[in-house]
This record gives sequence, structure tokens and C-alpha cells, in this order.
Amino acid sequence: MNQFKFEGKLKMTFLVMMLIGVVSLAITFIGDDAVHSRFWSNILHNSVFFTGIAMLALFMLCAKITAFSGWHTVFKRVWESYSLFLVVGLVLMLIVAVGLWGHWHHLYHWNDAEAVANDPILQGKSGFLNKGWYTFGTIAIMGVWILIAGRIRSLSKQEDQSGDSSFSYHRKMRIWAAAGLPILGFTSAAMIWQWVMSVDAHWYSTLFAWYNAASMMVAMVALTIICLIYLKSKGYLTQLNQEHLHDLGKYMFAFSIFWTYLWFSQYMLIWYGNIGEETIYFKERLDNYRFLFFLNLGINFFLPFFVLMRNDTKRKYGTLIFTSIFLILGHWLDFFLMLKPGILHTTQEALAHSGAVEHAGHAFTAGFSLPGFLEFGTMIGFLGLFLYAFFFNLSRANLVPTRDPYLMESVHHHV
Amino acid sequence: MGYRNKKIVYGLYDDEEILMDAVRQANRSEMSILDVFSPFPVHGIDDLLDLSESRLHIGGFIYGMIGTLTAVLGMSWIHAMDWPNIFGGKPYWAIASFIPITFELTVLFAAIGMTVTFYIINGQGPGIKNPIVHPRISDDKFCIAFDADEASEEEISKYRSFFDQTGASFIETKKL
Repeated sequence: MNQFKFEGKLKMTFLVMMLIGVVSLAITFIGDDAVHSRFWSNILHNSVFFTGIAMLALFMLCAKITAFSGWHTVFKRVWESYSLFLVVGLVLMLIVAVGLWGHWHHLYHWNDAEAVANDPILQGKSGFLNKGWYTFGTIAIMGVWILIAGRIRSLSKQEDQSGDSSFSYHRKMRIWAAAGLPILGFTSAAMIWQWVMSVDAHWYSTLFAWYNAASMMVAMVALTIICLIYLKSKGYLTQLNQEHLHDLGKYMFAFSIFWTYLWFSQYMLIWYGNIGEETIYFKERLDNYRFLFFLNLGINFFLPFFVLMRNDTKRKYGTLIFTSIFLILGHWLDFFLMLKPGILHTTQEALAHSGAVEHAGHAFTAGFSLPGFLEFGTMIGFLGLFLYAFFFNLSRANLVPTRDPYLMESVHHHV
Repeated sequence: MGYRNKKIVYGLYDDEEILMDAVRQANRSEMSILDVFSPFPVHGIDDLLDLSESRLHIGGFIYGMIGTLTAVLGMSWIHAMDWPNIFGGKPYWAIASFIPITFELTVLFAAIGMTVTFYIINGQGPGIKNPIVHPRISDDKFCIAFDADEASEEEISKYRSFFDQTGASFIETKKL
């Protein structure tokens, strides 16, 4: 069974998931405030999260090809299919970008002309934080990502048809991958600044982009583990075994610790520096989001650290799936915490400014103070979309690349 | 594992594939192998020799925990109780600033503890001389050794014929 068949029940499941997402978004839209901030922030949150997963899959693929790595070859079609989600991600991010031009949402403080006019800090940043750059960056940079993902994918598919011992396709792939590494590394930082960091338009942190990338990386590996175990349970990927999952488990463990390292570094430097314009980020989260703030650390550090520390927990399906599910939710929550407080602040200012309502201050706000059913519903919808695109792309090529020069190394992988 | 004053019969093989086949052959004919020496880790040989998983990492965890406690309790006592000082306007017990040092000491204790444990278990260390089976087992030869301390002449010749059959390039009986 070297051809994945995407049909019937599975397709239906993802369509139902997407329907749940659409219904959640519709309910959010109807019951929302005047500027629909909950609706838009949920779209931004999930778009960035799943686009990030696709981007990190492409980055891992580039790193593996450049490093002459072979162990992942047996399931490399999974990462190729993940990376093709970038096309959908571009559409999703463009919806947010178009919203900037039409002033449909108040996600970004810097897009409010009146606020910028009275604010020297925002004026100073307006060369980068403006809707022109936002749109251009999203289209141009994601366009390059899609180009790299598409080339690697098509070379990989051509290799299946006519690869021979000259490895010409693999050589070409290596050029694209080597170019892709620095491009993805630098440009993803720029996109994360615009998409995520600029919701707190006054605030900045120099290691924010790595911190985000680490978060996406853990979520990506966790989702990969779940999908691989699913495919295996359906009788596909018979050559995939505990050894490959063990290595993926190590990635999940190591990058969870890397994430914690960056999370703590960011916190400690700001705490120690004690500069008001920087500490406001953590003051806001510690005062008004205290439970989520520490829950984030608990799920994303203590849980994988103590569960995955032992050798055999990285080799058993049960513990791997358990940790993976929690880590995907945990890093989704991490992005929730990065985005929502800043957006809530911008929204409240916008609402107070237009005279619609009093400045709500720090009262409990549904969908912002805690993720509610509608947030999880939206997440399920986006997850359905991601998985639909993933399984669709997976079914359009051989499940195992039959003529990849590293296939045998991968099949005989032994940790 | 120091084999001092032990009589062994050993054979050298040129390739790890031949070695693996020989180990399989020995398992089939129920000969108990004393040890296998190789210049690099051979994949899959642990399972063939039925070696149990190393418990060194459990020691590592315990040493690491000792390091964590030493750092946290030490700094807490120094900075909050014994000699309280204000640094940068922070509280005496500024736990966030303790974490980097806690991390360092955890790694240091785990690393040193595991190294020392490893050396003690293996009977190695500075000034201790261990007998070497053959100089080339750290270069390009793979070795299987049988215990010949209480072996009769008959058994020793059985071991030698085993090496002959499985393609050993060099066979010797030796007292370490």
C-alpha cells in the first residue's frame, strides 16, 4: 500500500471539523463587539499557528536535505504535504491583510491612523509597521516559501518517476534546500514580527521570532507524530517503526526545552532590565492572565520534560500521543497568550475612542481572558482544514519515495 | 569491566557483519560469550548479547536533582538569609535570577557524577592499568572472547573450532 487513499469517512470527518469551525466563527461574529475583535483575532491566531506549522515542516525538510540526513526519508512525504499547506496559509493571511486596507478589524494598533498621528513611537515604527509592508511582505515572502516548497515537492515526485543512480533530482533539491534555509530563517522572523509581535505595537523583544519558531516547531513535530501513528494504525507506512518515532520524540523533547529556554530568557532579561516599556508585556499577562501564563509553562515544559525524559516513553504510542496532544494544545495556547492581550487592548481603545462604550479596563472578556468553546471550535475548524489539505496532498504521490537515495538508510534506521 | 587474572580464548574478526553472524552462531549452539570488543558501537549487538539497558541515566537524574537542590537551597540561604543584599532593586529571594545558575549546577553535577560513576563501575581511572585483550580491537578488529578459567582442554578446543568455523582471522588463548 504505497498509495494513500483519501476518501469517505476521513474526508467527511475533516469536512465536519471545518463545519464546526465555520459555525463557531459565525456565532462569534454575531455575538461580538462593534469591531468584531474576537472573530478577527481567532482567525489571525489560527491562521498564524497553522501557517507556522507548515513553514516549520518546510524548514525541517530543507535542513534534512542539506544535512544529507536519511532517517526521515520513509515519512518525508508527510512533511512535504505539510509544507504545501502554505498555499492555504497565504490565502488565510491575505484575508487578514485585506482587512487592514478595508479597516474591517482592529487587530493592529499601528493601523489606526489617528493613534499613529498622536504617537511618536508608532510614527518611528511606521516605516515597517504599515499595511503596505504587511501585505507586500505576506505575499512576497510567503510566495518565496511556496516556491521552495513546490520545487522540492515536484523534484521529489519526479524522482519517483525517473530517478536513477546519478541522483540528479536530489542534487537539484539540495540547491533549493540550501537556499531555503537562510531564506526561511530570516524571512520567517520578519513575518512573525508583523503578524504576531506587532499586536503589541509599542513593545518589542529581540528573541521573539526564535521563541515563536520553537513553539511552531514543537507543534509541528507533535502533529507529525499523531499523523504517523494514525497512518500506521491504518496499515500504511509499514516500514516506519519505533526507531523513527523515537527520534521524533527526541525532537519534541529537545525543542520543548529549547522553547522553555527562550521563554525564560525573554522573561528574565525583561524582568532584570526593568524598563517600563518592556515590562508592560509581562505585567499585563501576570496581572490579568495569571492562570494561563503558568499553565502555558506547565503544559509546554514540565509535562514533556518529565514524561519524555525516559527512553521508553519516546517509543510507546500511548505516551507519545498523550504528550503530542497536550503540546499542540499548549502551543496553541502559547499563541493565544501572545496575541489576545494586545488585541484586547487595541480593541478597547478603539471602542472607547469611538465613544461606543466605556474603556472596559481589565474585566473578564469572553474569548480573550480565557479561550472559550468558540475558540476551540475555531481551532478544530482550522485543524480540519489543515488535515484536509495534508491528506489531500499526501494522496497525490507515493506514500514512500521509492527511488530516494536515502530510502534504505531510513528503512534500516536504528537508534 | 576489568578482567584481571582471567584466562580467555578469543578470536578476531575483520568485519562487523562476520562478527554478528558469529554471535548468532554462538547463541544457536548455546555457548556463553564472555564479552565482545569492537572499535565502534555495532548496531543490534546489544540485543544479540541480551545485554540489559544501562542504568547510568538513573544515576544522572539523581545527581542532577542533587545539583538543583544544592543550587536553589545554597543561593536561597546565601542571598535571603545569611547575607541579604539588594541587587538591582530586586527582592532578596529573586528566584528568576537563580534559575541560570541552578541549570548550570544541575548539568555540572549530572555530568561529573555520571563520569565518576562510569569510571568506578568499569574499574577504570587515573593510575589504574587494565589488561588489553589485543591492541587492534581499538583499531580495526572485532573480538569475541570466551571465559576459559575453568574450561577443560576439550572445551577450549571447542571454542577454537568455533572460531575456525565462523571465519576468525586470529585465535589465541591468553591470561589477562
